[in-house]
Amino acid sequence: MLIELSQVSKVYNQGRANEVRALSGIDLTVEQGSMVCLKGPSGSGKSTLLAIIGCIFPPTSGRAVIAERQLARLPDRFLTLHRRETIGFIFQRFNILPELTVLENIALPLLPLGVTPKERKLRAHELLERFGISHRAQFPAGQISGGELQRVAIARALINNQPIILADEPTAHLDTNLSREFMAIMQQLKAAGKTIVIASHDPLVFEHPAIDRTVTILDGRIHVP
Amino acid sequence: MARHNLEKQLSILDFALSSLWRHRMKSLSVLLVFAAVIFLLASFQMVTQALSDKAKQVLAHTPEITLQKMSAGRQESIPLAYGEQLAGIFGIRRVVPRIWGYYFDEVRLANYTVMGLEVNEMPEGGRLGATLAKGVMPGPADEAQGRVVVGQSIKKTMDLAGRTTFSLFRPDLSLKPFEISGEFSPDTDILTNDLIVMNVADARDLFGIPAGLVTDLCVYVANPKEIETIAKKISEALPSVRVLTRSQIQKTYQVVFGWRSGFGSICLLAALAAFVILAWDKASGLSPEERREIAILKVLGWETSDILAVRSRESVIVSGLACIVGMTAAYIHVVYFDAALFRPVLMGWSVLRPDLHLLPRLAAGDILLILAFTVIPYLAATVIPAWRSATVPADSALGG
Repeated sequence: MLIELSQVSKVYNQGRANEVRALSGIDLTVEQGSMVCLKGPSGSGKSTLLAIIGCIFPPTSGRAVIAERQLARLPDRFLTLHRRETIGFIFQRFNILPELTVLENIALPLLPLGVTPKERKLRAHELLERFGISHRAQFPAGQISGGELQRVAIARALINNQPIILADEPTAHLDTNLSREFMAIMQQLKAAGKTIVIASHDPLVFEHPAIDRTVTILDGRIHVP
Repeated sequence: MARHNLEKQLSILDFALSSLWRHRMKSLSVLLVFAAVIFLLASFQMVTQALSDKAKQVLAHTPEITLQKMSAGRQESIPLAYGEQLAGIFGIRRVVPRIWGYYFDEVRLANYTVMGLEVNEMPEGGRLGATLAKGVMPGPADEAQGRVVVGQSIKKTMDLAGRTTFSLFRPDLSLKPFEISGEFSPDTDILTNDLIVMNVADARDLFGIPAGLVTDLCVYVANPKEIETIAKKISEALPSVRVLTRSQIQKTYQVVFGWRSGFGSICLLAALAAFVILAWDKASGLSPEERREIAILKVLGWETSDILAVRSRESVIVSGLACIVGMTAAYIHVVYFDAALFRPVLMGWSVLRPDLHLLPRLAAGDILLILAFTVIPYLAATVIPAWRSATVPADSALGG
């Protein structure tokens, strides 16, 4: 298993007046090369679960093992290093820095790794070619279309060749065609061996044939119908 | 490994530069204020140093010891006979009389410094010729009656045009005519700008000082190492006389410039403090876009230390640029505009302001001092906000 969560819970501001229990008793396993959708309404805990799987923070309790590393035992710095090697993120609205060029955006995860500019450019161009947007390499990211932006975000998630791709509400601001196109790319990545977890409440995503399993989250718990 | 680290540092520097460009209005506003503070401090330091250097250079021609008679705490004329009483002190080369006074020109509302010297009697009198732009120093009384050497502003103030003669009033309001035989070099403006030099007899006549009296006696010694010892012996021999050594006069000038510079520095420190507060405010006020950007970078695998490194590089780049801009502007201000902003503070009380052309000197120590007063407070003021911005939680880049 590439992702193993057992009795995972997350409490924000623990012990304070504004304490919030975001997740309770989550058990989830994801096999390598599979595509899982986390479904649920806004505020249900999908993003928190995604943050734990994405090694952004460890769970408050329970056991989370991501790519053979138990998160609770990792200090913050090692969580970052592990995330860097293991996880590729695709954000809601894609979170591209609009003033940077398309190429600079894609190469952003490589900057703190000490990769040479030549190597960064080479790797970014390979992905731009793969997603058919190489002609936009030197464009400011704020000036490209929504569909191109989506491909830039996917390219950025793949630049370090991480085995796990996490996507947080990726189709929330896309039209139907672009949402279908997004899922088609995810299907290709799954076929290439990537493990993909998508948090979404968009039927185009959770009903897509490439999705192996849909997990419903309600009030911080896995909902079993 | 070293190459890997170098690449990482270069990448972070590159990103810091592009980040400054992306937030260019904010960066530019901090840079301009920072450069202005450095400009003020550096200008002040350069002018003070240049004036001190110039004063030191010109004061090299002053006598080793100057004697002035004091009575009831005030200076009064000193009898020439006092010089004869010093004959027994071994090491005194020569005692030369001098009359030093001020003449207020009521027509032009200007104050002139008048100095009566016996140039031929002064051991290094011949070297005074080097301070002249043209002409010669006045000779002894019998040869050069009425001949004077004037500072650069005198001719302009008296509006002499092409004439070389002018007259001044004696105390009995009779006119005493003078002829200009030379002009001091503009390089000596700080001390000679408002100066009229004549022989002692002419000065005595102009001020109505009785025969046998002068304002000062200038004592020249054979061995400069013995100045302090001889000064002590003179004090013992003539208890009513104030004994001033050249080094004491130089120190007085240094203290005067130091005091003026210190006064100015205190005023500038207030500006510096205001700037540090501005820097803190600008650095700590993260916009939602900036917070989002930091969160995105952290999710993408940037460590807190990487973000902090970017912020630190930004501060260092802003500081470096502000230093270059501020110091260059200060140099131009001093050299090409003769420190127009600080002239009233630093040039003193004279009605005839010296028309100085300053050559700024900025030693390594001065640069370090300016950096210590500007860059270090700036970096200190931005490091905590930088750390706070670097600790923006990564999950704030994710949706709800």
